[in-house]
Parts: sequence; structure tokens; C-alpha cells
Amino acid sequence: MSSFSRSAQQWATFARSWFLIDARMQPPGKIASMCSVRLQGKHKPIYHALSDCGDHVVVINSRQIAFSGNKWEQKVYSSHTGYPGGFKQVTAAQLHHKDPKAIVKLAVYGMLPRNLHRRTMMQRLHIFSDDALPDDIRANLTEELQQPRAIPRKLSEYTPEEVEAFPRLWTPPEDYKMK
Amino acid sequence: MVFLTLPLWIRNRGPDRFWKVQDLLKHARHFRGRKNRCYSLAVRAVRRAFVYATKSRKLKKRNMRTLWITRIAAATREHGMTYPALMHNLTKSSVQLNRRVISDLAITEPRTFQSLAKVAKARQQEGFRAALGDGKEPAGVLSRIVMLQ
Repeated sequence: MSSFSRSAQQWATFARSWFLIDARMQPPGKIASMCSVRLQGKHKPIYHALSDCGDHVVVINSRQIAFSGNKWEQKVYSSHTGYPGGFKQVTAAQLHHKDPKAIVKLAVYGMLPRNLHRRTMMQRLHIFSDDALPDDIRANLTEELQQPRAIPRKLSEYTPEEVEAFPRLWTPPEDYKMK
Repeated sequence: MVFLTLPLWIRNRGPDRFWKVQDLLKHARHFRGRKNRCYSLAVRAVRRAFVYATKSRKLKKRNMRTLWITRIAAATREHGMTYPALMHNLTKSSVQLNRRVISDLAITEPRTFQSLAKVAKARQQEGFRAALGDGKEPAGVLSRIVMLQ
């Protein structure tokens, strides 16, 4: 039985690959779930929780992440310094302004299992706030992952012909004043 | 005197209480702290360990199945399917492999697993066609609609 035999052992089974994810205009939670799967190694058929088979993940453009809804104002990140009166609460916008990597980092950290491997797996996550990468990391990259969400185009990026051809629900009358 | 075995002959010597303690401590030797040498601490720890061992004989089966499912799910995603879709369609195609065997195949025989994924994919497409009303046989497919149960 192949469970017991060592016939199919291959070189570099436990080699680490380096994934690149572009976080431009992406929801942080979706980015984080892709990261956490790969950091844990749950995308490999050889997965085992103790065999430390996770990969490296490089996230670029973390400054350009996109929250949906009004999460920038309403989502609150809480922490406690341990001192009396040390309960800190900042909104997502304030946190992102202070550290553009923090939101992605916290999201991934929350999605990893709560065990002693969590800090190790976090060390294999490399977040960059823009698309400039150090050469030693760029040399390691093996694969770029597809973005989970298609980036919607802005109105300014459509050509006038496309705007004209876009289906309309209602045609404004001649004397209608646009706001 | 009757010597049944050598260990029993050795046990013949010394006070009985000493051997009683040794019989218990031999299960506690790998424990941490004073539990591995003090009888009064070890007796509780050994009893607890045996309870855990008894319970874990059932848990092991459950945990192994979870591990197989995680592994199959990982391998399935490489071929653009999801785990529930794969298992459902393999069952529909009368492939009677259990999760242990499928996860073994995914690790040691990736090509075999790929062909399984292809069968499931074809069966899924066939199901979609049947549900959407077209009902035509897709070209080059070996699977067929099997009515189970």
C-alpha cells in the first residue's frame, strides 16, 4: 500500500515556493484567506499540521487595498497596552494611515491557527506597501496568484464610444439639470 | 518452586509492594516532572493517561479522516474543482474508493488522481447538461448516469 512504501518519494517535495499576490484594489479578507492557506501548506496534498510544509507569500501594493461598505470608518481595531486606561481603539482608516501593512497583516494573523507555529508562519509572509521589491525577494518568486476580484474600471478609463454604447435606464430630457 | 518465565522468577524476589509500584511507574517513565518517579503522583497521571488513550482510539479515526479530506481538497483545487464536487461526482460515477486511498493516490500517483478528477469533472458537466434540459451526451466521455439507491 502506498501509505507504507517509500517508493514514490521525490526530491524537493518539501521545497518552499514563493507566491506573489498583488493587493491592488482587493478586499483584505480575500487576500488574507489566500495567504493563510499557502502559509499553512494546505494547498499541498502532502499537508500535515506538524510537517511545516508552508510556503512563502509576498503581498505587494498593500497600501492600495479596498474595503467594501463603510469599513474604513466603521471597522475598529482594538488593543490593550496592559496598563490602566490602556484600551486603544482605532478605525481602519487611521490604522491604514499609520501603517499601510497592518490591516493585511492582522487579517492573515487572525486566519492562522492559534498554535506555536503561528509566529513561524507569519515570518514567511512578506508584505510591501507598494510594488517595489528587494532583489533578494524578487529572485525567489516562483508564481504569481490571480487576484480574487476583478478590478472595476473607473468612468475616466472608459472611452467616449464605450460610454455612449452603455445601456441606459433613462434618457434625461433636454432641459434636465445635472447636479 | 515453579519458574514460568524469567521475569516472573525475578519478580519472585523482594517485597510485593515494590513490584506493584514498578508495574505502575513503567507507564509513567516518560512523563514530565515528579510524576515519572513518585508513586502517589504517578498513579493519578497514569489513570488519566489511560482514559485519554481510550478516548483517543476513537478520535484518531476522526482526525485521520479530517486529514485525508484536507489533502484531497488541496489536490482537487490544483485541478480546478472543489472537494464536495469531486466526492459527489465520483460517487455518482460509481467510483468506490475511500478517502484514504484517494489521498494516497493524490500524493504518490498524481496522474491517477488527475484522471479521477477528470472523470468527476465530466460527470459534473453531464449532470449540468441533464439539468439544463439539453441532455445530449458530451463527446469522449466514459461516465454515464448511474441511479444509486
